[in-house]
Amino acid sequence: MGELGKLHQLIIPFFGHTITLNLEVIVMTWIVFTMLIILGLFAGRKKKILPGPIQAFGELIVSMLYGLTEDALGKERAKTYGPLVCALFMFLLLSNWLGIIPHLEEPTKDLNTTLGLGIMGFVIAHYAGIKSKGFKAYIKEYFQPIFFMMPLNLIGELAKIVSISFRLFGNIMGGSIIILVVSSLTYSVVLPPFLYAFFGLFVGTIQAFVFTMLTIVYISVQVR
Amino acid sequence: MAIEGAEIVKAAAFIGAGLAMGLGAIGPGVGEGMVAAKACEAIGRNPKEAGLLTRTMLVGQAVSESTGIYSLVIALLLLFVV
Amino acid sequence: MAVDVETVVKIAAYAGGGMAMGFGAIGAAIGEGYTAARANLAISRNPKISGEIFKNMLVGQAVAESASIFALVIAILLLFLDVPVPSLLKASALLAAGISMGFGAIGSGVGSGYPGGEACFGIAKQPEIASQLTTNMLIGSAVCQTPAIFSMVVALMLMFIEFGNAPLYPTWAAYLGAGLSMGLAAIGSGYGGGLAAGASCEGISRHPKTAASVTTIMLVGQAVSQTPSIFGLLISFILMFKSFPESTSLSAAMALLAAGICMGFGGIGPGIGNGMAAEGAVRWVARNVEHAGDLMRIMLVGQAVSQSTAIYAMVVSLVLIFVV
Repeated sequence: MGELGKLHQLIIPFFGHTITLNLEVIVMTWIVFTMLIILGLFAGRKKKILPGPIQAFGELIVSMLYGLTEDALGKERAKTYGPLVCALFMFLLLSNWLGIIPHLEEPTKDLNTTLGLGIMGFVIAHYAGIKSKGFKAYIKEYFQPIFFMMPLNLIGELAKIVSISFRLFGNIMGGSIIILVVSSLTYSVVLPPFLYAFFGLFVGTIQAFVFTMLTIVYISVQVR
Repeated sequence: MAIEGAEIVKAAAFIGAGLAMGLGAIGPGVGEGMVAAKACEAIGRNPKEAGLLTRTMLVGQAVSESTGIYSLVIALLLLFVV
Repeated sequence: MAVDVETVVKIAAYAGGGMAMGFGAIGAAIGEGYTAARANLAISRNPKISGEIFKNMLVGQAVAESASIFALVIAILLLFLDVPVPSLLKASALLAAGISMGFGAIGSGVGSGYPGGEACFGIAKQPEIASQLTTNMLIGSAVCQTPAIFSMVVALMLMFIEFGNAPLYPTWAAYLGAGLSMGLAAIGSGYGGGLAAGASCEGISRHPKTAASVTTIMLVGQAVSQTPSIFGLLISFILMFKSFPESTSLSAAMALLAAGICMGFGGIGPGIGNGMAAEGAVRWVARNVEHAGDLMRIMLVGQAVSQSTAIYAMVVSLVLIFVV
């Protein structure tokens, strides 16, 4: 049980402040990046009309996510936001699955990763909103239905970041804690593989999808 | 162990924050679930309007979530201001 | 009147055992009653296959009973537990174990009655798919036991793990908070999972050909409905394993207790709401299977939005634990 709450941190002094880096998370994130780039290279290299297995896999994922984006945002905007959605989903999916490989951990287990992704989605959604409605109409929405609702509307918007990022963090962290505890209670007999299949693969896929869908939904709410 | 007035006020504020957010989350949670259930029913009946129904569902949920956000605001006020 | 530590531990263990079994019996009794009621209705509709329905009812009730059997196990353990080193901290941990298991068994018990009842009724309508319905019922009610299993894990950890020499003063509240957080948060998820499973049995009996899609979406919906109870588990683990600096002030203890209460109650509503959303989606996948993808998507978005209040509760709990 000792592993709970142990963090490898690199603390750098910086003009009187300190910058703290969670080494493990950074390494795991780079592993995910590398895997995605390799997958992309293999899927995009030697494009054929009759696709090979890796190209077919890539096309399947891209067309599915493009379809989702088109449904929510319309054809025009899907061209802008489709690549973002694909990249986000693939990153989250691989991140959530990474924990099933021994000695590797999910980068999404760290709140910093999910909060960063949540803030990214928030900024993109609001940028899209300002771009499509104009600044005035965008600001005006905060004063609906009456002007003194402004602080509550603002908190409501900010709460979206909290809810989207803590959902992913809570699920992945909770799953890995359950796996850790049950493994140590049962001395790693029989149960852990099933738990990994459930929490790593199944819940990880669902949560990656939910996070991506919510990012699309936030963009579409702002745009319309 | 002597308990002073300020200490009791602080303790009560913490408990109050916990209760405000905890109990305040019940209503919106159930209500938004009902909205989602009815939206599923509506899409099952009329799948062509899926986009419109999704948007309506989100607006309805956002409105019914506002009471949850009020609880959050009150809980944070109790924690940090009182 | 002076009471020594050993007596306090005994009192806590007995009170915990009583609460575990007392609260733990509520859910399963309601759930099994629902199953039996639906079974009676089913037999009156189709008396020729009463044997089949009766068999299915017993199987369904046996599964629904497991939540309260967990509670029984914890209660017996609490009654006969031999505490080697009695301390006030252990007393609070034992009481918390009882609370966690007692409340945790309510939701799963009520919830797993629904699939049993709907399966009985479905068999009366479509006797030829009886075995398919029984299988689906077993899967559905087994998954909706998960929150009760989480509570049992928390209760066992509170009972058996040596927490070393943590300072008594804020830590007693942390243990009670851990029990409340897990126990209460499991209510909503267990009940919600049962709603989804019940709708899937009803749907399969209406359109047996859609069984594969219906079971899939039921599992997805139940997995998402369990999120509030996973949050409860997370908070209760943090409360159990974080070491708190010693402080005799009342507010430090109350902050930890409030964290547990907040997450516990905060998990109830979203769990039920998520279950309702899943119920709606499952029911309509059975009626309109061509649009299963659309329905799954809107179910996930709806559930995600209705979870947000549970997430606010989790954030307030985390603030209470780490910031205050």
